[in-house]
Amino acid sequence: MTSPSPTRLTLPLTPKAARALKVGDVVLLDGDAVATVGMPTQKRMVAEVEAGRELPLSLRDGAFFHMGVSYEDSEGQPGAVHYVNPTTSSRFNHLMPTLIRGLRLTATGGKGGLSQDSVDAMRDVGCVYFSFVGGASALLSEGVEAVTDCAWRDLIMQFRLNRLRLGDFGPVIVAIDAHGNSIYERLMTSARERMPEIMRSLRPTENKNETD
Amino acid sequence: MAITYDLVKEVTANLYDWSLRRIPESSKAEFRKALASETEPQARQTLAFMLDSAERAETTGKFLCSDAGVPSYSIKIGSGARMEGDIRQAIVDGFAELTRTIQPPLLRFVTNPLTNERSFHGKDMPLVSWDLVGEGDYLDITCAPKALGGGRWAAVEILVSPSLDEIERCVLEIVLRAGGQHCPPVVIGVGIGGTFDHAAKLSKDATLRPFGERNPELMVAQMEERLTRAVNQMGFGPMGVGGSTTTFGVHVEYASGHGFTPVAVSFNCWINRRTRARIYNSGVVERIE
Repeated sequence: MTSPSPTRLTLPLTPKAARALKVGDVVLLDGDAVATVGMPTQKRMVAEVEAGRELPLSLRDGAFFHMGVSYEDSEGQPGAVHYVNPTTSSRFNHLMPTLIRGLRLTATGGKGGLSQDSVDAMRDVGCVYFSFVGGASALLSEGVEAVTDCAWRDLIMQFRLNRLRLGDFGPVIVAIDAHGNSIYERLMTSARERMPEIMRSLRPTENKNETD
Repeated sequence: MAITYDLVKEVTANLYDWSLRRIPESSKAEFRKALASETEPQARQTLAFMLDSAERAETTGKFLCSDAGVPSYSIKIGSGARMEGDIRQAIVDGFAELTRTIQPPLLRFVTNPLTNERSFHGKDMPLVSWDLVGEGDYLDITCAPKALGGGRWAAVEILVSPSLDEIERCVLEIVLRAGGQHCPPVVIGVGIGGTFDHAAKLSKDATLRPFGERNPELMVAQMEERLTRAVNQMGFGPMGVGGSTTTFGVHVEYASGHGFTPVAVSFNCWINRRTRARIYNSGVVERIE
């Protein structure tokens, strides 16, 4: 019943390191990641990638997270971190396959997971999806050492591309691995399969009478 | 004596601020129960992390979540309440001042639905509902900010002369569609009957009920227990990564209506932001949650 102590990983991962992870692995993250929660941001990223242009923050082979970040911003440079927290990745389902393939991401993450097109893209390039605990900002934020850079300052703070230096961030769970396995897909399929039985369990007495 | 603009402005702003840093006591109690009953190691670890983080936020004054949520107030007005000044404007002004002064700063999340522009203010902000209740000499104010993760999965279906079974099936289909996307373990509010808008409001009100309180009507209380068990059999678990704790409770409210029966379902994420206070004509403020 006791959980194994989490492995520490340094971002960005190599595709080989990403492929070594399995769904359900629990890890702590160090190193470098870029975070945003912006829909306009990711639309702009897709446009840049499709036009063959480099992003203002290098993300090639990198880690890209759906996470809001608040920090001091008085001198035109990112300052002390206030707090971070993941956002729902699935609302970016339509954009992520292009970003995963185009940037050859090795890690992505947030909460809620990504759809099958992203799972396929992740398998092709060697990329994992980490699930962060939403609403646990007080503890998660302790794993962010600094905001080291930001780009697209015309956007509001949490919509910018914010580069973070992580130290002991997490624990986080590998919820989609680089072999096509997704916790979200597995749980949704299983829940759908259980529904007839769950519906029958609502009316055990009546069902019994019906079969009498 | 009366309930003044200044007092309402101060209390409503404080309720919002407090809700960002502390989860309700009844939620903590449910976490402790779930930690004792949840059998999946991964789910237990997630529950423990959530509770630890909530306690850290409470003791250090940090925020629970980066998405502070759209400010939303439910206000119950006793018929004996006497008000002085523009009470609605007091809430608007209190929130505006808070967004300028709160530490750490809030991110911009109040969104114009037509342009997607984000700021700290906007049309109809803060959202407020007003209900008259009884003869009390007070305003009873609940603040329950709504964030994106929990807010987007709510739904209303309109059934025609449904059986109880069909109503429950409808609720579970809406719950299934949301999967584990809404930061479970959630509270699920179900509103049945009345009209489209009324059912939605009942559903919201149902989410505000503390855990451990059942609907006083036995038939409805039994429905709540059945639905809670059924949802937890789906297996989404804490944060939607598996387990038997997807909801801490399904709360059902209903109203009489016609042969068309709206069924509304809404969710509030595990941090279940909710604070509540009463302001009396005497100027006394009673903090309830």
